[in-house]
Amino acid sequence: MTDDLTISEEEADILQEIMNIAFGKAAADLAEIINIMVNLSVPKIAMLQAADLHGYLMGEMDGSQGISVIEQGFWGEFRGSAFLIFQSGAGKELISMLGSDMESAFEAEAADVLERETLMEVGNILIGACVGKVTELLQDVVTYSPPRVIVENKADDVLADGLFDPTYMAIVLKTLFCFNERNVNGLLFLVASQESIAWLKRALCVFMEQYE
Amino acid sequence: MSELRQIFDTVNIGLVVLDRQLNVTQWNRWMYQHSGIASEQIVGSSIFDHFPELDSPGFLKNCRSVLAFGNFSFFSQKLHRFLFPFKPVGSFGSKFEHMQQSCTMGPLRGENQTITSIFIVVQDVTELATYERKMAEMVVRDALTGSYNRRHLEERLNAECERHRRHARRLSLVMLDIDFFKAVNDTHGHQCGDQVLKSVAAGIGSAIRKSDCLARYGGEEFCCLLPETGVENARALAEQLRRQVEAMSTNCQGREVKVTISLGVSELAGTDTPETLLKRADEALYEAKRTGRNKVIVFEAETVKPD
Repeated sequence: MTDDLTISEEEADILQEIMNIAFGKAAADLAEIINIMVNLSVPKIAMLQAADLHGYLMGEMDGSQGISVIEQGFWGEFRGSAFLIFQSGAGKELISMLGSDMESAFEAEAADVLERETLMEVGNILIGACVGKVTELLQDVVTYSPPRVIVENKADDVLADGLFDPTYMAIVLKTLFCFNERNVNGLLFLVASQESIAWLKRALCVFMEQYE
Repeated sequence: MSELRQIFDTVNIGLVVLDRQLNVTQWNRWMYQHSGIASEQIVGSSIFDHFPELDSPGFLKNCRSVLAFGNFSFFSQKLHRFLFPFKPVGSFGSKFEHMQQSCTMGPLRGENQTITSIFIVVQDVTELATYERKMAEMVVRDALTGSYNRRHLEERLNAECERHRRHARRLSLVMLDIDFFKAVNDTHGHQCGDQVLKSVAAGIGSAIRKSDCLARYGGEEFCCLLPETGVENARALAEQLRRQVEAMSTNCQGREVKVTISLGVSELAGTDTPETLLKRADEALYEAKRTGRNKVIVFEAETVKPD
């Protein structure tokens, strides 16, 4: 093992494959166990320095539009934060998805509060399923901190500063979520420390050995 | 007793462990204190035996997701209010029927990292929820009169205009102002003026429907938004309010102070924005003032001519 923390092309391919398997399994489990039909498409993953995330994300989304960012920390050998970004308005779409659970929630609560809470629940489910499956394939077990919604705002403002440790690595997965036939666009990315990236490289290596 | 066991029983949060069949295996002292169910009574039996309300699709879904994925589940107070129906402790009883809880559920793993059970953490957030509720009230209320404030009125007005247009429903607005209010302040002092504002607001508040929105618009000016109401009924209500205020008197340090109000009424029309609706009611109010006060004027193009 070297101290080189850049991910090689081969390693990126393996990671891509793991993501494909993980997301497929996550979707199947979500449907079977909690009856949420979700399509998770995983196009190309990208690895970059957290410092470059802002520029990358600006290229991916309309900076003048409002977004909601849900952050959730995960702790295992692989540790860091998962971020899920939705265009604003997604929360309203998702409220009906959690449907029956929410009826008992109070009518008195403001619509925007309900929307935030819904984003957190959905974020928790998605991040839990995706991160859980990826780490499971890499024979790691993670625990999670509670999700938080970083306030709705213009993408420019939210992503501009201080959200990520610039020395961390980011693994970006641009994912189109399709819930119960409702199209909701989302972007999922994981930001992990250098120690975690070193572990990830070893784990990818171990993962490949089972096929050799 | 092990150190961890002592912590388990003395921490100020509820801790519960359920096995894969959702039977209780651990129940800490906090849970006993708030439920009245002792650990010996509940350990070994199904959680649903003691809390049948938990046997809901939502709770089961979360248990499954913990057991299957090793996911964590978070039951926020805002969405769920509480998991365990406990009585609130302390002085919050009047506000909430149940203790407000923020709960977390997650997996516990045994050998080979397999998930053997579920833990539940229960936090009492009643105090926080009480403050939040109080703050939310303060943001929309006028401190002196207790009626809504102008900010809230403007939000409601925007929302109602949009809603009424979308569903082609009628919406009316009454602007009203206490006549010669400055004289009340000058003659009886500002404390008395405040008393008058309070009793006028209370009088009007008791006469309108729950769905109507009374707001203090300015100093002695109030605005009343009347959803699902045409101009005829709005005029009748305005007249009723006028008579009611005329008939009442406010006791200020032993003196009876009587005031009257002038009112302007307008109804949402096809081309209206919230601003033009307000403006027309205001013009009608001005006309009521100009033509003698203590009266109701309905905005009609012929009766009110801009100067």
